[in-house]
Amino acid sequence: MTDLDYLKLSKPQKMLVDLRRFLAALPGHIGNGLKNLVMFIVNFFKGIGLAIVDVIQTFIHGDWKTKVSYFVMGFGSCARGQWGRGILFFVFQTLFNFYMFNPNASQSGLYYLGKLSTLGTIETHKEGRRTVYGDNSFFILLYGVLTIFFIIAFIYTWYTNIQQNKISEQILKSGHKLKSTKDDLQSLMDEQFHKTLLALPVLGVTVFTILPIIFMILVAFTNFDMTHQPPGKLFTWVGWSNFHELLASDTASHGNTFRQVLLWTLIWAFFATFLNYFLGMLVAIMINKKGIKLKKMWRTILVMTIAIPQFVSLLYVSKMFAADGLINTYLMKWGWISAPIPFWTQPGWARFTIILINVWIGIPYLMLIATGILMNIPADLYESARIDGASAFQMYQKITLPYMLFVTGPYLLTSFTGNINNFNVIFLLSGGKPQSMELTGNAGYTDLLITWLYKMTVNDTNYKLAAVMGILVFLVLAIINLVAYNLIPSVKNEEDFQ
Amino acid sequence: MKKVLSVVLALAMLLSLASVAMADYSGDLKIWVAEATVEFTQKMVDQFKAAHPEYANMNVIIEPVGEGDAASNIITDVEAGADIFGFAQDQLSRLVAAGALLDVEPENAEIVKAENDAGSVAAVTLGDTMYAYPMTSDNGYFLYYDKSIVTDPSTLEQVLADCDAAGKKFYMEINSGWYQTAFFFGAGCELTFDSDDSGALVAMNAGYASDAGVKALKSMIKVAQSPAFVNGSSVSNATNLCAIVDGTWDATAAKEAFGDNYAASKLPTVDGYQMGGFGGFKMLGVKPQTDDDKLAACDALAAYLTSEEVQLARYNAVGWGPSNLNAQKNEAVQADEALSALASQLAFCEPQGQYPGEYWGLATSLGDDVIAKKYDNADDAALLEVLKNFEATCEGYLAK
Repeated sequence: MTDLDYLKLSKPQKMLVDLRRFLAALPGHIGNGLKNLVMFIVNFFKGIGLAIVDVIQTFIHGDWKTKVSYFVMGFGSCARGQWGRGILFFVFQTLFNFYMFNPNASQSGLYYLGKLSTLGTIETHKEGRRTVYGDNSFFILLYGVLTIFFIIAFIYTWYTNIQQNKISEQILKSGHKLKSTKDDLQSLMDEQFHKTLLALPVLGVTVFTILPIIFMILVAFTNFDMTHQPPGKLFTWVGWSNFHELLASDTASHGNTFRQVLLWTLIWAFFATFLNYFLGMLVAIMINKKGIKLKKMWRTILVMTIAIPQFVSLLYVSKMFAADGLINTYLMKWGWISAPIPFWTQPGWARFTIILINVWIGIPYLMLIATGILMNIPADLYESARIDGASAFQMYQKITLPYMLFVTGPYLLTSFTGNINNFNVIFLLSGGKPQSMELTGNAGYTDLLITWLYKMTVNDTNYKLAAVMGILVFLVLAIINLVAYNLIPSVKNEEDFQ
Repeated sequence: MKKVLSVVLALAMLLSLASVAMADYSGDLKIWVAEATVEFTQKMVDQFKAAHPEYANMNVIIEPVGEGDAASNIITDVEAGADIFGFAQDQLSRLVAAGALLDVEPENAEIVKAENDAGSVAAVTLGDTMYAYPMTSDNGYFLYYDKSIVTDPSTLEQVLADCDAAGKKFYMEINSGWYQTAFFFGAGCELTFDSDDSGALVAMNAGYASDAGVKALKSMIKVAQSPAFVNGSSVSNATNLCAIVDGTWDATAAKEAFGDNYAASKLPTVDGYQMGGFGGFKMLGVKPQTDDDKLAACDALAAYLTSEEVQLARYNAVGWGPSNLNAQKNEAVQADEALSALASQLAFCEPQGQYPGEYWGLATSLGDDVIAKKYDNADDAALLEVLKNFEATCEGYLAK
């Protein structure tokens, strides 16, 4: 299909073609990704091989200072007058050795590493009435992972230390002078300033983000739950059985419930995002219209819902819709209904009510965003459209909507993601209820994956399944985001509105 | 020389003996009790310290943690949890299974067995091991009602009709595994679990999938269909209250809500059978301890806080009904309206044993289905199928 053919198509047809092209390109993308991955792995091991060869050759050809540095890190640097670097290397090696092999601490890095394959074998027992705690699987897993991090850091530093020696030898051989400690410090403030700035954030991200994420991923492969709770009890590796328990369809597994909850999560995210988006835009357009009086008052009234803390208004509204709440009581008093409407007790109603209430709290935000953007659309566009005889709907369709979509595309994507994980609204309005005998794992009909995960961790102490769920939520989000990101106009037609 | 040595040895022995008997402890000791009893517990701890000089320097920290949260918090982090904590008996097997509860010191166990009512003793015992000190015997439910509206609290049909006629509501939390048993146990069904010493539930005795079970489920459906019915069990959350199935902890709130029309009675009959339920208990547990001296202090303090004297004082301070037999015979206890309603209801109740944690979620699911009117048009065979499914799922919770 030529570009001309494409441009002739109507909007929905274009979208279809886009989607078809995207899907057609998908195998290629995935293939490329896999190829890159394989290349990366190959290069990675090639790099390690080269490094090992390099290390051995440096040892053979290096002078005695370099050779000693293989065992006492920083020796070469110190011997060549680079005291600052040398001492840092030495301190790091000492700390590492202390952590790994400290004979006085019963729980050294070596202890954690050795127990990592079993997560502990010594059970907690009692001597008389006194309790003697055995291995703590939780700490073994946590510090085991930390130890591996530490070892990788050590190997890297050790390698750097050898490279330093090699380079120093070459520099000295060529008759140049080595950098002094003062030079090093100066360079950290100058051409190496990025290292100075990033050292703390990188350390923080590693310890407080990457380490816990790896820990949580690993928990998905253990039997860490209510009956395997440290320090009283041990837990251990169980392979993929937790994934089976959550996804399989047999009676002992949660597969059917999981699919049900996932489907509702997606439906909810769709409505919560797009219903709010279009209704918010509609309200903004209405208020922006020429001839509407008291614009400021309308906006203030709507923004009032933002001013009240969400959890207060949500809890209050949830009470309002209860069987004995304001709404049912008045509807019955006026004789409109004979029995209370089951807003929270029947699955269909509960889902509908939640989406409805979310519209009510979501519109003001969208109205604010849309107001700002609408005021930015050049008025001459509308003027020329009007001269051409376009109707209000045509102007909306051809000018307002594309402009809005272009500017707010990324916002839509993040808000969709946010709604998939929108814990507050669901938890405060319905708590995931109503439950049913048809669902397992205490899930309810309005539970999102994230609220179900919360119930599993807090109510049922079922950390293993919660960890699996966390991984799956990530997968769902990653897939949706990747696909959607490639389809939104802000990314595809970057130059359109510039 | 030999003589000197023997004297020294004898002295050393005496000293070591004395140190065992005097096991004084002066470190920290943390207690979790319900918010309403923090002040009271502080007073009792002061009395305890005054009576036991060896613990006079002990630093007791009392924190308000509700009985519902205490077990979850302890299980989440045993080491940071309180040394002594109050909880309701439905948490016992969960705590023991998680290794968060120490068995009761054997001497104290004998005393507890002799002084407390049989139901509470059974509730703190798993297999042959006693794991906690019974503190109250009032964790049951009965009917609070407005006597100006409800003409006859003896049948549920009448209560519902009266409430509806007045445009008011009848509250009962039928989607709770705790309140639901009023129907099932009342109709003559059984649902109990046997546990071994380690807190693992190993066997189930169930009779839900029977004619009696279907009868009970039909009563639940009938109640849920009534326009006066609201699912709920908290006086303070009720907005249009006429009658509520609730426990003694809400007695003050109920008195306030009903004013002069306050009344309490045993649960009514429904479909011709007397509604039953759980007789429940609150208890104090001790966390596993790694220090012998601290352990002795915990044992002594927990035993004191659940003794006759303190149980009676607790009733007078916060109105919790004692499990101690002598304290139950006290005049003031016997004259309490809510407690006497509970006492007449307890005659139809089963002492609550151990249930798997998942049971409560499953019962909520069953209740939610009833409230969502899923079974309104179901025939007996379909209802029996539902209950069979319920039992089978319960059986799946047993330790393998």
